[in-house]
This record gives sequence, C-alpha cells and structure tokens, in this order.
Amino acid sequence: MKALVSVKRVVDYNVRVQVKSDGSGVVTDGVKHSMNPFDEIAMEEAVRLKEKGKVTEIVAVTIGGAKNEETLRTALAFGADRAIHVKEEGEVQPLTAAKALAAVLKKEDAKLFICGKQAIDDDANQTGQMVAALLDIAQATFASKVEIEGDKAKVTREVDAGLETIEVDLPAVVTTDLRLNEPRYLKLPDIMKAKKKPIDATSFGDLGVTPGAGFKVTKTTPPPTRSKGVMVKTVDELVSALKGKGLL
Amino acid sequence: MSVVDRFTGIGLRWVNQIAGAPILDRLGLRRPTEQALYHGTRIGFRSAAAAARGFKRVQTLGQPARPSSPSTSGLFDLTPSEDQQMLQDAARRFADEALRPAAAAADAAGAADATLLEGAAELGLGVLNIPESLGGAGSERSAVANALVAEALAYGDMALAVAALAPSAVSNALVLWGDATQQASYLPAFVNEHAPMAALALHEPQVLFDPFALQTQARRDGADYVLSGVKSLVPRAAAAELFVVAAALDDGEPALFIVESSEAGLSIEAEPAMGLRAAETARLHLDALRVPASARLTHDAAAYRDAVALSRVAWAALASGTAQAALDYLIPYVNERTAFGEPISHRQSVAFAVADISIELSGLRLTMLRAASRAERGVDFLREAALARRLAADKGARIGSEAVQLLGGHGFVKEHPVERWYRDLRAAGVVEGMLLI
Repeated sequence: MKALVSVKRVVDYNVRVQVKSDGSGVVTDGVKHSMNPFDEIAMEEAVRLKEKGKVTEIVAVTIGGAKNEETLRTALAFGADRAIHVKEEGEVQPLTAAKALAAVLKKEDAKLFICGKQAIDDDANQTGQMVAALLDIAQATFASKVEIEGDKAKVTREVDAGLETIEVDLPAVVTTDLRLNEPRYLKLPDIMKAKKKPIDATSFGDLGVTPGAGFKVTKTTPPPTRSKGVMVKTVDELVSALKGKGLL
Repeated sequence: MSVVDRFTGIGLRWVNQIAGAPILDRLGLRRPTEQALYHGTRIGFRSAAAAARGFKRVQTLGQPARPSSPSTSGLFDLTPSEDQQMLQDAARRFADEALRPAAAAADAAGAADATLLEGAAELGLGVLNIPESLGGAGSERSAVANALVAEALAYGDMALAVAALAPSAVSNALVLWGDATQQASYLPAFVNEHAPMAALALHEPQVLFDPFALQTQARRDGADYVLSGVKSLVPRAAAAELFVVAAALDDGEPALFIVESSEAGLSIEAEPAMGLRAAETARLHLDALRVPASARLTHDAAAYRDAVALSRVAWAALASGTAQAALDYLIPYVNERTAFGEPISHRQSVAFAVADISIELSGLRLTMLRAASRAERGVDFLREAALARRLAADKGARIGSEAVQLLGGHGFVKEHPVERWYRDLRAAGVVEGMLLI
C-alpha cells in the first residue's frame, strides 16, 4: 500500500515570530525554517506503518518554492522513498493546496494520505479536510492512534469529550494530532542517503490546478503587550483596587 | 572632427614641438619640462573631455543594475552545504532535546547515561565517516560536517559530546590510516547498531605534555611491539573495547597502535577531572603490553601529525559549540537581570564583555572551520589547526570565565549551567587527543 505524506516548510517553532513593520505579514527572510511539526508526526506515522509492513511505499509531497526542497530532503531522511515537489513561488491558500494535493493523490493512487492537522504558520486546519472532500473519500482528523486492517483504517481521534474511535474505508485522509507519536531523531547516515532518493518536480499547471485567492490577509498585527501590573500590600488594598476597576 | 578631438590635436602638436626642442637638453631642462608637460597635458585632456560631457536625465521604469551575488563556492564562503546544514540541524536537535536536559545529572554523577549514549549511537555519528563499501554512509572526507556535528553536540553538553563521539575517533583513525585488513577486522563492528565503545589514547600525564615527544614506548621485539607507559584523560576508557594508542617507536618517532581492551598488560584507573565529568576520563596503564606488528596503524609519518591536528580541530569545534551555548545563555540573562532599576546589559562593562565574547567566538569558529575545510580538501592544515587550538584554549577558557563573571553569583552555583561550561571549556586548553574529526 502506498502512503502519501504532505510536508510544509514553516518558520521554525523555536523562532520568536516578528510582524513586518508594514503589517503585511510576518518576517520570514533570514529566519530559520523547518518542517511543520505536525507533518513530522505524519512522516513518523507513515514510517512506523511501513516498519509494521502495512505500508510499502512512502511518497512525500510539498508545495512551494525552491527552498522547500530542504523539507523534502528531511522527509526523505525520515524514511520517505521518493518525493514530489509541486513548484510554486507565490502564496498558496489551503483550497489551492488541497486541489494540488488531491491531484497528486489521485495520480499516485495512494491509499492513505497523511498530513498534519494544521501548519504552525497559518494554523488553517483546512487542507486535509478539503482533500478528502475534493476526492469524496473518508477523512479521519486529529488522529492520536492509527491502525490499518485490510482496506480499512481504525483511527482514534482526540475530541473535546475525550477519545473517539472511528473506522474509515481506504483510501482515506488522516490528519495527525500532537499525541499520535513522537518523531524520531534523524539519523545522520539517513541524511546522506536521502541525497540519492529521487525528487520529481511538477507544477500547478501539470496538475491542472489554477491557483486562486479565496481570501485576502488585510493586516497582520502582533499580540498586544501586557501592561505592567500593580503590586498591592494588603487584601483591603486589593479589594479597593478591584472595586476601583469595577471588577467587584 | 569634434571639438574635443581638434582641441587635443592642437594640444599634442604644441606638446611635441616643445618636447622635441634640442634646447632643453642643452640647458639641462629636459626632465623638469617633461614633468610639467605631462601634468599640463593630463589636466588639459581631462578638462577637455569634461567640457564636452553632459549628463542627460533619463527616466526609466526598469530595475537598477546591481552586481549579482557570486556563486557560493568562493574563498571565504563558509556557508554549510545543504547536507552539512541538515547534519548540523539533526545533531543540534539531539543536543537541545536529549543532551542539554541530561547534562547536569550526568555531570553530578560523573557518568553518562547508557540509554542516552545508545540514542547518540543510533544517530549514526560514527557511520558517517565509514565508506559505503564497508557498510557506512560516507563517500568523501567530511571534516567540515564532522566539525559542525561536534560543535552542535557540544552546544548541548561538551562532556556528553565527548562521550558520544569518542568511538568515532577510533573509527575515523581506521578509515583514514588503517590498512585493508585492519579496516575489515574492526570497521564492520562500528556500522552495527551496537557499535563498540572505543577511544583514542593520546594524552600523557607529563609536565608540558608534547604529543610529538611521547613517553609511552613501543619497543620492537621480534614480530611484536611491546607498549609501556601511561595514557591520560582517555574518555570512557572503562567501557571501551578498543583503543588507538599513541606511543613512541625505538627512534622516538610517534606511531599509532590498535589495542584491544582484552590484551594482557592493560589496566584502567579512573581519573575524574575538573570538567568533562560525564565523559568518565581515565588513565590507561600499559605494562609491557604486547601487540603484533599488524596492530600498528600506519607507517606514514604524516599520519600521526594529521591525527594530532584533526584532534585539535575537533577540540576547537567542541569549544566553539560550548562557548556559543554560553553566549546564547548570557544574552537573555543580562537583558532580564536587573540591578539599580534597569537591565544589567545597560552597563557598558556588561555589554562590552558580551560583545567581546561574540567577537572572540567568531574568530575561534572561523579559524576552526577554515582548518576543517582545508583538512577536508586534503591540503596542509597544520597551521590552521594550531591557530584554532590556540584560540580554543585561550578564548574558550576566557569565554567560560567571563560567562561565570557576567552571571555574578548565579555563575558560581549549579542552578545555572554556566559553571559547568566553564569547567568543560578549560579542557580545550589541556587535553590532546580524545576526538578526531
């Protein structure tokens, strides 16, 4: 069984993100980027399924500019067998990404599509669901456990009330939650071996996708800074201070 | 004929007439006159050209022309390649998530956790340098990648980095200088999941130790060598199965020998040190230890020199990683710690000290990478390695000391990692050997 895993290059989670002075977005130039952590979990899950013999081939796919090749190399070092690079230098919104990924999924005829539940840059949490809708296949989102049995997948999901276990027919889309697994450390020899694995380039044009802009980001602002607190000495002072603010 | 041409034409004719006049020679005026003419004509021509030039204001909507960036393989370009960057990132992640949190406990215990070292071995630190034909993943010399990895690991913790990298020193030595038989006998074990613990034993407990004047003797006795002496500060010697030991031949020339820990005449004595405590340093006593002539690593005199130099680059890389950890710890500290109602970084004595650390670290790092890069390319790198060692010894220790100083009382207590970094950074100036990049 073939598994397709989408990976996105995002600003590293350790970076203190800064908003551009003109409010048109966040600073990405000269900032460390890495693979979206949820996509790492997706890669790890695919590799584990392959180790269990459930998956025979892992294909990693990304959409974006030339620099995204690094992310694909990371995916290959993780254990993907080959990679597909949908080259696009411009902005890609979730629906466009979903259309492209759906086209790749169809072309590859993969039975399982695993992706992070969201990317930590725009936190859209839409792409996986849209891929499933576009292809009219099952979706199992926020997975915390994935088991493959024959042509079905049993997926435990994290929902507000607790855990929910659902069974979906394959092909299906699985989006990963934080507690699905703990991604392994990349082995240095695997990084060297990843160089020899193939990366196929394709484009929206090849996939028959027209990039569209369903929405427009009008302004990006940093969160308000916390104003300085006031120290009070006694409970009475606290009560009167709270009353003064109309909180009591 | 343009105005300018005509003007210069007249000028030249006039110049030639004067310059050609025989009276100048008679009066001894030729030289000064020629000089005057030279200056005169030059200025004349210049003003003639300027007079004819006019700047025309042109409006264009095109992009301004700028020189483009040259390709990145220039003389001073030390940007890591994509592979090197990925290797460094992978090692750094392990350092941040596994080594750093374990460092304080490992330092207190004076031992590295076995699971942690297994995790490090699983990263495949040693496999990188072993050629593919022997089951490894290496295809070309990778001194720069090794240095970056050592640096990244030392960013987590220097002692644990030494413990984790110690076996690679032996596998590297075998890759670089072992003959086919030696490689085939030992290297496959290093590719295995459970690679053997191994260590390089170079340092000796001598006053003003000189790695090129070894006290440990390798006396030729028939078909064997008999090794006698004491090696000092050998990392994780108690757990090691294999050593590469440096000893002086009968003529005083240093050489490297493969010694298995099971050989008779070998005993190990713990030698805890000021720093590198988690690396479990120990002394190796060689008491008339007999090894066959085939245990000698190479007959090439340059190999030993290279071994010392590669080890020095490795130490500079470790020092650079730990010094960077100290700097990255300091900057937020001095910005957040307040005294007299403001962050201590507002005091020049603090700000300048932090800046000095950054400057010295950059110097150390660039020199180290240059040495590694030359080693990788196979050109002479002994000078650069010596410079890197000197900077690692001087500046590394100074950075450690300054970091303790800048943290004030916090620098002295074990609540903060800085005192450990100071103790570890002192090692760079003391120890020879241990690692090979």
